[in-house]
Amino acid sequence: MNAPTASIGSWRHIVGSLALAVLLEQWPWGGWALAWRPDFVLLGVLFWALHQPGRVGIGTAFFFGLLADFQDGVVFGQHAIAYAAGVYLVLFLRLRLLQFEPLRQAAQMFPVLLAVQLTVLLVGWLAVNPPTTLAMLLPVVGTTVLWYLVAGFLHAWHGKGMQDRA
Amino acid sequence: MAMPDQFMFVRRLGPGARLLIWLLVGISLVVLDSRYHALEGLRSGFSLVLQPVREFLRAPTELADELGGFFTRHRALQKERDTLLAERAALMAVQADARDLARENRELRSLLTLQVRHGEQGVRAAELYRGHDWFAQRIMLDRGSAAGLRNGLPVVDADGLVGQVRRVYPGSSEVTLVSSPGHLTPVQIERTGQRGLAAGSGQGRLELRYMPAHIDIKVGDRLLTSGIDRVYPSGIPVARVIRVSRSESSPYLRVECEPVAGLDRTRNVLVLIGRQQAPLP
Repeated sequence: MNAPTASIGSWRHIVGSLALAVLLEQWPWGGWALAWRPDFVLLGVLFWALHQPGRVGIGTAFFFGLLADFQDGVVFGQHAIAYAAGVYLVLFLRLRLLQFEPLRQAAQMFPVLLAVQLTVLLVGWLAVNPPTTLAMLLPVVGTTVLWYLVAGFLHAWHGKGMQDRA
Repeated sequence: MAMPDQFMFVRRLGPGARLLIWLLVGISLVVLDSRYHALEGLRSGFSLVLQPVREFLRAPTELADELGGFFTRHRALQKERDTLLAERAALMAVQADARDLARENRELRSLLTLQVRHGEQGVRAAELYRGHDWFAQRIMLDRGSAAGLRNGLPVVDADGLVGQVRRVYPGSSEVTLVSSPGHLTPVQIERTGQRGLAAGSGQGRLELRYMPAHIDIKVGDRLLTSGIDRVYPSGIPVARVIRVSRSESSPYLRVECEPVAGLDRTRNVLVLIGRQQAPLP
C-alpha cells in the first residue's frame, strides 16, 4: 500500500545529503554570499522531515540545531529550538506541502523558514541581547530559492509522482 | 492534528508532545549555556570534529590565490625590492633616532610610574571561518590553547586592534571583533589624551560613548587603546572618528568611528600574549 506521498530517500541519501550540507556550511563564506547564504543544514533537515518523517524527526533537527549553534558560536539551543519547531511545522503541514509542485512548495516553505529564523531571533534576543539589524532574515530568501531548486531537481529526476523506490 | 499516516498503528508520541519535550531540552540548554557556561566541553568536542573539515575546505581558496599570485609576483617582487632598499636606507636613520627616543621615553614613563608593556609576545594566526551570528561579530582563528592563547587576549592586525579572544579551543579560537555590538574598548583620543569608551555598534562601526558636549573632538581624530583596563596594552590604534554630531535631547555627543583594522579583509592577525594575565571584561 504505497501512499502517493511516500517517496525517495534511503539512509544513504539522508546521511549523504546532511553531511554535504554540514560541509557546505564549513566553507569560508564571506561578504554578501555570507549574508544571503542559505541554511543548508536546515534545508536538508526540513526536506527529509517532509519526505521521510519516520527517519528524520524533531530529535534529529534538534541535534543539527546544536551543530549550527556551535557553528555560529551562539548560545546552545538557539538554533536547536528553532529547527525543532521548523520540523514540527513541516510535519503539521506535510500532507498539504506534498501536493504542490516545486515552485508553490517553495512558496509555502517561505513562511515556515521565516518562522524558524524568527525563532532564532527571538531566542537570541531573550538569551543574549537585542539584534542590531534585520539582515538575519536574508538567508530565508536564499533558503527558499534553494528549496525550489532542490525540489525542482527531484521533480525532474524522479518524475511527477515521486513514486516510492526506496 | 495531522499525523503522518505511517504512524497510525505505532505507539509513538505525537509531534506536539515531541516538540514540547525538545523545547524543554532546548530551553534548559540555553539557560545552562548562557547563565552557567556549562557546555564548553560540548563546544570543544564539535570543534575537534569540524576543525580538520574547515582546514580542508579552506585549501582550494588558498591554492587559487597562490596560483593567481604566482604570475604577477615576480615583477612585483623586483619592484618591491628596489623600493624596500631605498626605504631601508631612510629607515636606518630614523631607527637610530627612534631608539634614542624610546630609551628616553622609557625613562620618563618609569619616572611617572606608568604601566607600560614592552616586548609583547605575539602569536600569528589566520582567520579560519567567519561566524554567521547577528548578535555579535566574530571570527575563528586557526590557533588555540595549544599555541598559548587564553580568553581575553587582544588581537591586532597590521593597522590596529581587531578584537578580543573570547573562546579558546584546542586548535582554534573565537575572536569578538571591536565592532561587535556592545563590545566595549577603553580608548583615548590620540590628539588630546581624552579617555572614553568605544562600543561596537554593529555594521562594522563603533561609537564613542558618554562624551560630554564640550569635549574637543574632530572628524579624523584617531582613537588608541588607553591601557587603563589592563586588558589591552596602551597605544594600539582602534578607530578613526568619521562623524561628530550633537543632539538636542542628550547631553552627550554622538561620535561615530570607523575601525582602522581591516576587520573585513584581514586574514592574518597577531594575538598578543603579554606577560599580564588579562581578565575578561
